[in-house]
Amino acid sequence: MLSYLLAVAVVALIYSLMTLALNLQFGFTGLINFGVVGFFAIGAYTSALLSQAGLPLELTLPCAALAAGLAAWPVALLSLRLRIEYFAIVMLGYAETIRLVISQEEWLTGGVRGLPGIASLSVGLGIPGDPTLVAFALALACVVGAVLVSRRLVHSPFGRMIQAIRDDEDAVRALGKSPGRFKVAVFVVSCLFVGLSGGLYAHYITYLAPDQFGALLTFYIWVAMILGGAGSVGGALVGSAILLGFIEGSRFLHDLLPGVSAVEMSSVRLGVIGLSMMLLMRFRPQGLLGGKAGCG
Amino acid sequence: MERPVLSMRQVLLAAAGVAALGIASGQAFAAEPFLVGALNPVSGAGSPYGSGMQKAIAMAADEINADGGACGRQIQVVSEDTQTSPDAAVLAVKKLIDVNKVQVVMGTWSSGVTLAVMPITTAAGLPEMNTSGAPAISTEDKADLVWRFQATNGRFGQAFAKIAKERGFKRPATMAYNNASGLGNTEGFAKAWKEDGGKVVASVVYEPKQASYRSELQQILAANPDVVVMGSYLPDTTIILREWYQSGQNPDLKWIIPGWAANEKLVEALGPDVTQGVIAVDSISNENAPSYAHFAEAYKKATGQPAGSNVYAAMTYDMMVLWGLAMQADCSKLTPEAINGRIRGVDSASGDKVFTFAEGKKALEAGKAINYQGASSQLAFDQYGDVTPDFSLSVVEKGEIVRKSVVTIGK
Repeated sequence: MLSYLLAVAVVALIYSLMTLALNLQFGFTGLINFGVVGFFAIGAYTSALLSQAGLPLELTLPCAALAAGLAAWPVALLSLRLRIEYFAIVMLGYAETIRLVISQEEWLTGGVRGLPGIASLSVGLGIPGDPTLVAFALALACVVGAVLVSRRLVHSPFGRMIQAIRDDEDAVRALGKSPGRFKVAVFVVSCLFVGLSGGLYAHYITYLAPDQFGALLTFYIWVAMILGGAGSVGGALVGSAILLGFIEGSRFLHDLLPGVSAVEMSSVRLGVIGLSMMLLMRFRPQGLLGGKAGCG
Repeated sequence: MERPVLSMRQVLLAAAGVAALGIASGQAFAAEPFLVGALNPVSGAGSPYGSGMQKAIAMAADEINADGGACGRQIQVVSEDTQTSPDAAVLAVKKLIDVNKVQVVMGTWSSGVTLAVMPITTAAGLPEMNTSGAPAISTEDKADLVWRFQATNGRFGQAFAKIAKERGFKRPATMAYNNASGLGNTEGFAKAWKEDGGKVVASVVYEPKQASYRSELQQILAANPDVVVMGSYLPDTTIILREWYQSGQNPDLKWIIPGWAANEKLVEALGPDVTQGVIAVDSISNENAPSYAHFAEAYKKATGQPAGSNVYAAMTYDMMVLWGLAMQADCSKLTPEAINGRIRGVDSASGDKVFTFAEGKKALEAGKAINYQGASSQLAFDQYGDVTPDFSLSVVEKGEIVRKSVVTIGK
């Protein structure tokens, strides 16, 4: 049981890295990013391909973060010119484009056949012991790091500035500050987290294919952020844990409802996940740890 | 004051507690059951097959149990849904291994799921049995713990090439849905066809879920092929054939389509005129073997569906039967590795042919070597743990899919 819970926790931690990033973008700055999964894919493939080329994981994981950050930079510049809603749509398209490029560039990414046999975290880093435990420790360390960076950012003058941008961009301009620079910085820095989570994911699952990077994942991350509470660093962690708790916990429903067939069960599961989320939103619309209702 | 001995509520609570203890310590009971994990695509893209696959595993387990179990051990099946997604499958298989303590995992369907699950089962020292097509599964299986009960996509391609040659086609073109299976089919075809000295006049790979494939189709029709070999699925095949028919171009063009796309539903959607002469190729179950008749009857009873509607169900049925026989082959060692090592032994070419678990068990108890002839194929695993099933060639004639011949490709 412990090992299974650890496995679930690893995925929750990987999700929470992304949720932390989205929280910086949306919860604190008001940037609507519907393309989280695109940067996640860039991180995953970067680390996987570099490690298959022989680089050690100590290098490939930072490279994954950097690659996602670099990919975020030009799009972040776009955010200066586009209104918030248009930016959201551009991001959706951007992530889809990345998925298509991955599925077409077979020479590099293995195309739709995917990349099998990626080194696992424990093998790649040469750490002996239970691979799930190693993955858990590493993911936890990354999340702790990301939390510290997030807190530092949010509570600095920089953090107050981005929250001001979120609340009223025109007011910020009227005070003689230029919001653009801040938006770009937040976007790029938070995409570093997303890239890193992609790298961890690649070496945890050890198999990558383009269909793992559909828009569904982006919306999972949004759900996690909203559940936890937009604009709260702790909320990002709690939200991811709850999301995974719903998704995985519903597996055990089967043991409670023995009369239900497997096929019915898969639908019941989705129903239960949806219902629990609706109830949570009904009774706690600001999210579990959210101070005030989401904004944007 | 006298207290009542026990209230009804307390009795019930106590009973529930005892029951819970019983479940928690289930293994402590005598003749503990052997736990098998059924990991099937109950939801997602594999959902048309997943529940049938799961039922087939349970059916085979029931047969084994009705015959007194394997080595006196009852088989208990724990099932999970892969959602046809590698991420979900990874957690599902972790649960099967760590929470349910299964000793073998069987029934993964899509290649992506199998490739994601394999490293986990292998690390746990457990065998994995699947019905996936991707060639990478053979090469990634370094510990010989993975068994494939379905023809690889490459073998499908070889069957296509053999059929195209027999039917006298000279100018084939290929169209593939952009995924591992679609590409595997058409590339397997192109490889076999070219090795035979042929030439492919055009080939197109298309993206899934489009409303129209007109431009891809034009590229193919412009090369003036006499046959188009498809690596496709039902929705896209329906659109492509309709657009070809509406265009009025190359009316004599023939189509070779895998059976999962060229089925009754395709004919129903397009009508007899459009589908006239379409050639459907599918891996077939071991239809002349008594094991298939036995399976088909039980499957019909269990699901109300004909066995032919789900070729994967016969494969998962064979997984369970074969595993039971491998257990029975040496009751003194029932670790997953030891049983895994005996799989080739109960599938040995020199053994007596057996068709059910009961027959096999009897022969094994009499000290004979056996060769289980599966319901899905005769099995006969190669060095990669892959089977080589036969293929059926059917042609659509006036809205009916008519079986023409059985195609056997080189072992």
